[in-house]
This record gives sequence, C-alpha cells and structure tokens, in this order.
Amino acid sequence: MLTRGGRRARTAATVFGGALLLAGTIVGQDDAFPFGPFRMYATRDDPNGLVVSTRVEAVDRSGRVLVVPDTATGMRRAEIEGLAARFRDEPQLLADLSRAHDRLHPDEPAYDTVRVVERRYRLQDSRPSGATTETVVAQWTR
Amino acid sequence: MDALSGWLFRPVPLRRIAVLRVVAYLFVPVDVLLTTPWVSAHAHVPTSLHSPLLVERLLHLPAPGPWVLVLQWVLIAAALAAATGRLPRLLGTAVALLYLEWMVVAFSYGKVDHDRVGYLVLLAALATVGRRSGEDAAGWAVQVTALAVVATYFLSAFAKLRFGGLGWVDGATLTRAVVRRGTPLSTPLLDHAWVLHVFQYVLIAVELLVSPLLLVAFRWRPLLVAAFYGFHLMTFLTISIVFLPHCVALLALLPLERLRLPALREPVPA
Repeated sequence: MLTRGGRRARTAATVFGGALLLAGTIVGQDDAFPFGPFRMYATRDDPNGLVVSTRVEAVDRSGRVLVVPDTATGMRRAEIEGLAARFRDEPQLLADLSRAHDRLHPDEPAYDTVRVVERRYRLQDSRPSGATTETVVAQWTR
Repeated sequence: MDALSGWLFRPVPLRRIAVLRVVAYLFVPVDVLLTTPWVSAHAHVPTSLHSPLLVERLLHLPAPGPWVLVLQWVLIAAALAAATGRLPRLLGTAVALLYLEWMVVAFSYGKVDHDRVGYLVLLAALATVGRRSGEDAAGWAVQVTALAVVATYFLSAFAKLRFGGLGWVDGATLTRAVVRRGTPLSTPLLDHAWVLHVFQYVLIAVELLVSPLLLVAFRWRPLLVAAFYGFHLMTFLTISIVFLPHCVALLALLPLERLRLPALREPVPA
C-alpha cells in the first residue's frame, strides 16, 4: 500500500501535470512540448481557398533533377514547411540541407542546386477545382 | 475529494504493469529504429536549421549533433534492460528521461507531433511502480496514463477551437489532409466532399463526448478501446498518419493481466 506521502506526491504530480497541459492548450505554442497544444489539423482551411503542398527539389552533380525525400536530408516535409519563411528570406540556408545530404549519403552525388517548390491546389466547395500552380519559393545554387 | 482519490488510486493487478512494461519498453527500439527513423537523422542536420524548444532553452540542452547516435543506442540498451523487469524504478526512470530527450531531438526542427504525450506519461508512470509496490500504486500508473490518453483526444478539440475557431467544423481541413496525404482509399472521397465535412463533426463529437468515457471502468470499455484502435487504423488507411506510441499507451486501459504470458517478472505485493 502507498504511504500517505506517496499518495500525496502522486496526486500533486497529477494535478501539476494536468495544469501544465491545460495551460499549454490555452496559451502555449508548439515549442512548449510536451505541454503544448494538440494542434495537429487544428487550423481551419477555407473551402474555397488554397491547399499548399511543399516539396524540395535538387539538381545533383550528374545533372539529374530529383525530388528530395525526407530520408535524404533528415528534414521531414512538415519541418521544411515550418521553415519555408526562413528559406525565402535566407535561401543560403538551403546549402545546409545539401550539407545534411552529404553527411547522410556520402556515396550519392552532391546537390548543386536545392529549391523549395510549393504546389498550390485551388479548392471550390471543399473540392480540388483542378487548378494548380507551382512556385519556387527559395533556391540556392552552389 | 474521496471519490476522486478513490478513482486515481483504484487498484489494478500488478500483472498488468508487468505486461505493460514488456510492451512499452520493447516498443522503444521499434519506434527508434523502424517507425520513426527520421529522429536519428537529425544528428546530421546542421544546427542552423535547429529551432530549440522551450525546455531546451530553459535547461541549456545541447543542440542535436553526432551525440544523438550515442543517445540512440544508450536509450535502446536501457529499454531492453528495462523490458526484463529488473530494477524497475532505476531503469524505468532512465528510459523515461532518455526517451524524453529523444523526443526533444525529434521535435526541435519546427514540427511537433501529438502522438507522444500518452506514451511519455506511461513511461514516467511505469518507473513509479517498484518491486514492493501495491495495487494502488499500479492503479495510479494506469489512471494517469488514461488521463494523458484522453487529454490527447479531448484537448485537441479545444486546440481546434483555439486555432480554427467555431467554424473549424465547416472548413476544409480534412480535404486538405487528403489532398496532401491521400491514399487510394481516401482520394476518391475528394469527389464526395460532404463525407469529409460530416466526418469533421464526428471527429469533434468523439474527441469531446466519447473520449472521456475511456476514463470510466465499465464492462464494455475494452470494446470502446477497440473502437479507438479502429479510428487510428482508419486514419492510417486514409491519410497515412499513425499514432503508434499513443496506441501503445492506450493498451493500459485493457485488462492485460488476463493475458497468459510466460516468465513475467511481477512486482511482489507489499
């Protein structure tokens, strides 16, 4: 059986943890992990707005144009999207993606060009209307 | 107050903790090596792309680098040792702390996932049940895990309210999810957008009204847990997102003590 102190400590930990989680939900941001808000899919998308899908493309030393998968650089698509604004302002940061690729895959040809491409799907009444556009939002060349 | 305390320390057979230990700790190498291998890849990403979390800034934790690969193997070794049931408090605490740091490495590049809180609480709670703990201590470990699991559903409805507003249910969030991550099973739904629209109402209702029922130990609760597993399976089949660590934590709500497993090291009741 738990002692009185053991029960008290556990009750206090439960209340404290719960309060932090509640505070994170109400005022916290993602960086308060593990107490941040559970915000996956929490934003509202306009049924007549745009859906943006981001990818990273590279031109390697052999001249091949390829879509860079998450495993090539260690950065997931959602992480690239989170950094999209920084890449736009400082495209030379993309050199670091190419560096990550060199470290993870030293046997593969290095990237000479890295670019972030946004494909935008136009929605109409919550359905893709078929209209899409593609924009290079940031590009770095060695 | 007594009722709340009675709920929080509602006795649970120690055998359930013994089974949970094996599953929760053996899941660590699966998670680290197989299902989320991108975490260790962060070891190679230049620091310029690192966006430190609040906890890293507060505790002055080092930015991820080659040491992450050492952390990976120490974590796996600790988890395998803990899965044997030996030194449950010491090894349990080590695994809980190492895994928390592993998660910090995972989520400090601008994207935080929300499938880990239940599992992190389960790891922390397992470390509080020692060799001589009673069924009330085991009960607390199960109930706090249940609270964290339910919070993951329940509070995500509030996050939708906070970031998406009341209009979230009438937005196109699930359409966006399918456009971006659709599978052969879900892409045809884009031609029947009303299905996705209705499902947004269902989702909020489940998160707000159904998930709290998981906290009540009624006869049919295992069926309700199974229904939630069904929900996670459907999410995986439609938008290829799977809340695996969360699903491991959800196991705590099942009467695992009834499983016949050989050679489990059980804590001896005081």
